[in-house]
Amino acid sequence: MLNLYLFQILNGLGLGMIYFLISVGLTIIFGLLNFVNFAHGAFFMLGCYLCYSLLAATGQFWLALFVGPLAVAALAWGAEKILIRRVYHLPHTFHILITVGVALILQEGAIIIWGPIGKSIPMPDVLQGVVIMGKFAYPKYRLFLILFSAVIGFLLWLLLERTRFGALVRAGSESTEMVSLLGADIYKLFSLTFALGVGLAGLAGVLSGPIRGAHPFMGPEVLGIAFVVVVIGGMGSFGGALVGGLLIGLVQSLMTTIWPEGASLMIYGAMAAVILLRPYGLFGRA
Amino acid sequence: MKRRSFLKTGLAATSMLAAPAILKPAFAAAPVTIHGLKSVSGAFASYGKFAEMGSKLAVEDFGPVLGAKPAYVTIDTEGNAGKAVRKVQEAIQQQGAKFFQGCTLSSTALAVGKEVAKGGGVFMTPAGADEITGTECNSATFRWTVPTYGAIHQTVRPLAKELPKKKKWYTITPQYVFGEALLTAAKDLFKELGIEHVGNSYHSTQEQEFSGYLTNAMAAQPDVLLILNFGGQASNCLRQAINFGIKQQMTILVAWTAGLDWFQSLGPEILEDVYLGAQYWHQVDTPMNNALVKRVKEAYGITPNYPLAADYISTTVILDAIKKAGSTDGKAVAKAMEGMSYDGPTGKETIRAQDHQVIKDYYLLKGKAKSAMKDPDDYATLISSGKSFPEGDKILCKMA
Repeated sequence: MLNLYLFQILNGLGLGMIYFLISVGLTIIFGLLNFVNFAHGAFFMLGCYLCYSLLAATGQFWLALFVGPLAVAALAWGAEKILIRRVYHLPHTFHILITVGVALILQEGAIIIWGPIGKSIPMPDVLQGVVIMGKFAYPKYRLFLILFSAVIGFLLWLLLERTRFGALVRAGSESTEMVSLLGADIYKLFSLTFALGVGLAGLAGVLSGPIRGAHPFMGPEVLGIAFVVVVIGGMGSFGGALVGGLLIGLVQSLMTTIWPEGASLMIYGAMAAVILLRPYGLFGRA
Repeated sequence: MKRRSFLKTGLAATSMLAAPAILKPAFAAAPVTIHGLKSVSGAFASYGKFAEMGSKLAVEDFGPVLGAKPAYVTIDTEGNAGKAVRKVQEAIQQQGAKFFQGCTLSSTALAVGKEVAKGGGVFMTPAGADEITGTECNSATFRWTVPTYGAIHQTVRPLAKELPKKKKWYTITPQYVFGEALLTAAKDLFKELGIEHVGNSYHSTQEQEFSGYLTNAMAAQPDVLLILNFGGQASNCLRQAINFGIKQQMTILVAWTAGLDWFQSLGPEILEDVYLGAQYWHQVDTPMNNALVKRVKEAYGITPNYPLAADYISTTVILDAIKKAGSTDGKAVAKAMEGMSYDGPTGKETIRAQDHQVIKDYYLLKGKAKSAMKDPDDYATLISSGKSFPEGDKILCKMA
């Protein structure tokens, strides 16, 4: 039984890193832009489908892993220039309205392009198979995901904490007016941050493809998890997304053994508990 | 030409052009209209699209009914029971609609069935819930789909016979009425067959991440993993089970699959050697099915799948019954359907008068390797087929 719990902890860490990747883009965008992106899940779905198409066309998963997120980021950059930036100054309800619209366009677009039936995405040959651990087996691909997400997390931390761009983003999340007055091109910063956040959703989509396949209606489901992670970690907090993701992954995985029928419910139970104890999330600010 | 003359001429010409349409109803019988309840938008659009193709083709292929070519109208249920009921009420009240076929979701079918019964019509559905021809049955509602009891008996029993040494089974079950019904039937059959049920993991209806439940299954070390969920959840559960190498450790059976379109979304790499329960399979050799496969390929260029075949035959059955009754009176048509036998895609099919359940075959298939597929839709081998339905006091329908 102990082995089972240890294995569920490993599985929970793997899940948590996926949830971190899904939600970190959302929290970065909210942190700097104070913008609620309800199209985040739809961009995740787009990443998944691009992975499918690139893989079908070239057979190269690694190419899909590189090109897919960049393509999603480029689309987001364009959408920000044309549409999103026009509503930054408006209340959150307008952000929701416009991004739900974008999400619906992406969803229906996916149905038109790829059809309403879901698609399976094969794993790269080198990552197929499992690692045997006693009577358990853990997919090599999920182990790769844990490591890859950790590397991405570290690179993001470097970007946000050790570069001029990161300093501007952090400063911008405190006061956009001040950053603007100091001579930084705040609109360019907004565009890049939005593209970065959405590109991360695309990256999560590409990486999740071999686990979940691609389906036009997967966006809302992913969005729900991303919001839970961001609320637990604290809106706008990079560290919060990591801790929130890991916490949710562990709760979900362990609860599937302790109380399987309530495993999904306990994700929201954990969120409610955190909100009660820390209304702004674990790393959030008032 | 003066303006007044121009208007007069135009009006006369328009009247003449419209005359045949105006005069026609006075001489021809009004066509019988089938209202197809299809989820052509929303989360179940993939199902509704094929279902609509099935009904349209059935109406197109059918000859005159009561002196006129039948007509077909789609009502988009949007995969939402509330919206479907409102649209059905409107169709009954404003268009005098009487004959309905379809509904992807059991909740929608149950709600619509009650409305159609109130409106004095007839409704035939391929929805899954046992209640439709069980505790919630009514005089207007008929169902083509084999209930959970039959799905379990026609998959678990033949598989247990094929693999007699595999005596330890584990189940993964969605926690709602459909999953509970499958699990109850499975547990009863396990007892009868001397199978040890080594564990079950319930999951919520929203769940898409199954790694934890699969870990529980691995810990129990069963011989067979019986997956009792459906649609997208079954896709993710099976896909993740393959990722976790479970196929190498135990046999996998998915008792209730959505058939060909579901197989297409997963691909042969995942389906290979997995046992699959199905309501319909295009390779079944029956005269009507062979004709249907040919006709669908001719009309749409695709192989018929479960929603297409189910809605094709259900629509045809309603039209046959109207013809047999010689009337569009709902009660007379329902009466004509009771006990009716016909050549369906699964062979000889009969509508049981007691609960309006169609008695038909259910199939156990086994996924093929990609190299063994003879054509792009040749995903599985037919292992067995047969009919299993609750009988006697196990029929829970008390027809009002």
